[in-house]
Amino acid sequence: MVPAAGNNGRLLEVKDLRIHFYTGSGIVKAVDGISYGLKPGQTLGVVGESGSGKTISSLALLRLIPRPGKIISGKILFEDEDLTAKTETEMIAVRGKKIAMIFQNPAYSLNPIYSIGAQLGEILVWHEKVSQKAAQERAAELLQLVGIADPVSRLRQFPHELSGGMKQRVCIARALLCNPALVLADEPTTNLDVTIQAQILDLLMELKNRFHMAMILVTHDMGVVARTADRIVVMYAGRICEEANTKVIFRDPRHPYTKALLETMPRVDQSYTADSRNRLVVIPGRIPNLVDPPTGCRFHPRCAVAMEECSTILPEPVDVAGGHTVSCLKYSGGGTAS
Amino acid sequence: MTTRTASDPTGPVDQGFRKHGMWSQGWQRFRRNKTGMLGLVLVGFIFLVAVFSPLLAPHDPFDQSAMLQFRSKAPPSWSHPLGTDRMGYDVASRVIYGAPTALFVGLGAMLVAATIGITLGGISGYVGGVADELLMRITEFFLVIPIFIVVLVMVRIFGILVLGTALEKIPYLNLTTIVFILGVFGWPPIARMARAEFLRLKEAEFVEAARCIGVERKSIIFRHILPNAFPSLVVLIALGIGGAILMEAMISFLGFGDPKAISWGQALYFNYEFLKISPWASIAAGTAIFITVLGFNLLADGLTDALNPRLKE
Repeated sequence: MVPAAGNNGRLLEVKDLRIHFYTGSGIVKAVDGISYGLKPGQTLGVVGESGSGKTISSLALLRLIPRPGKIISGKILFEDEDLTAKTETEMIAVRGKKIAMIFQNPAYSLNPIYSIGAQLGEILVWHEKVSQKAAQERAAELLQLVGIADPVSRLRQFPHELSGGMKQRVCIARALLCNPALVLADEPTTNLDVTIQAQILDLLMELKNRFHMAMILVTHDMGVVARTADRIVVMYAGRICEEANTKVIFRDPRHPYTKALLETMPRVDQSYTADSRNRLVVIPGRIPNLVDPPTGCRFHPRCAVAMEECSTILPEPVDVAGGHTVSCLKYSGGGTAS
Repeated sequence: MTTRTASDPTGPVDQGFRKHGMWSQGWQRFRRNKTGMLGLVLVGFIFLVAVFSPLLAPHDPFDQSAMLQFRSKAPPSWSHPLGTDRMGYDVASRVIYGAPTALFVGLGAMLVAATIGITLGGISGYVGGVADELLMRITEFFLVIPIFIVVLVMVRIFGILVLGTALEKIPYLNLTTIVFILGVFGWPPIARMARAEFLRLKEAEFVEAARCIGVERKSIIFRHILPNAFPSLVVLIALGIGGAILMEAMISFLGFGDPKAISWGQALYFNYEFLKISPWASIAAGTAIFITVLGFNLLADGLTDALNPRLKE
């Protein structure tokens, strides 16, 4: 089932999205003008450090930004409708039905006092207006699909009776109940054992292909997106540094931040010691305070190859090769772009 | 595949492993708690006495005929197992009939207090901002009022106001007034707890997750937040029941109670002057108050231990 998609066959188009948090200490520009698109069935990896705005920008798609955050400008076109213009009631019909979300911490994303069946059934009864009995059957079917054996008796169990990996499977089942066109996965494997991480990722990919869903995978782990995403967006301090197909990002990273991020990945074929030569690579400095972000390019205080004008000019995204955009003065100034 | 490990979801469900939701888990823990169980037994006993009071009482509680036979203040005997008091009432019957009154006071006052407290606290915690600020200042205002004096004044004023009106004919009007006032002034601790729980739970990940799957606000509040806030609130309510019973006893002891209702505090009020002559009358009523309040406090204590350790994984 291919969902209807307009604007150049795109399912989702985020245009110049800005989200600010009005806090006591000032306006936090958590997301400051990001744009990206997603085709049906495509997987987009959104990569960045904590505080880069990756989670907030995905919550924005559901219009569930925690207070005091607000979308102050920009458009979110989903299936040709602007989600930012929808009313709360209209959004409730989108959440879980058209766009579903999988959370970082499966241990806490299920309500401790209801059985699995009650929680899965709730969504179906609400969105699909089916009977409780039909809902339970469908829920069991999905549990089976996410690799949970004996689904009918699992439905009667409570979250604390399941292991972390199983809870995440239940969360995945819950996200898929209504056949959404887009699934947002916010660090879906971060809190799981390494052995289960791979299983869960494989499961997600398999189900995504099977139901032809698009997926946005938010993570800080380059390793996770490397094996799953079609395209990657690298975010830093509320802005997009670089966007390209996965292979391109890994083979030919252009933005200094992307390069630095790739260098920080520990490699299996290298041994690390505590002395200065063979240590794990870190990016010096910290992610900037977003109340008062650095002028010009936001990465310049930590950038190894910063130039003088980096501190004054805000780089705009430049297409350096078909579909590979970089926001860096090295490319927009006298660089490769023409 | 005989054992099911945490990482292996494909194994069969171990049936011995199933324990159900929060309440039954709490019950499992509660059952092991000796003081809590003692509280439950005491409270259960009071409930039974209250329900079967007409069957258990040896005499009509309003029967003062002993006085006419010069047998008031009589020590315990076969016909009056706990003796008679200064008014010629049968002490045992008055104590037994005091149980429904005490429970009515305790449960009624806490019903009112819980309704107000959970509503205001819930709104305060969920909505936040200006509403929170305003409601919490109101709560603090109610918290600093010396309830006891206010209750005494209000009971007396109200008692005078209704004289000669149709309201006067409502049975136990005075007692109902006391219950209502105890409730109206007893909600602040519940409101504060409800606010704290709503604040914690509205940010909880499972609530966020529920929002993300399109659960509407009404159901978020009533299905996801409120039931999870309940364990903490139940403890406060159980504690409050004991408190309200004690409060009513104090009011009645000072002679501000409902003259038509049979209350333990009132029995103390009638008999404290004759403590040396007929101690049984005071001791019986005092013991009843002690057992009931102790029962509810122990129950609350047991509930804290059983329900409040956060659910195990």
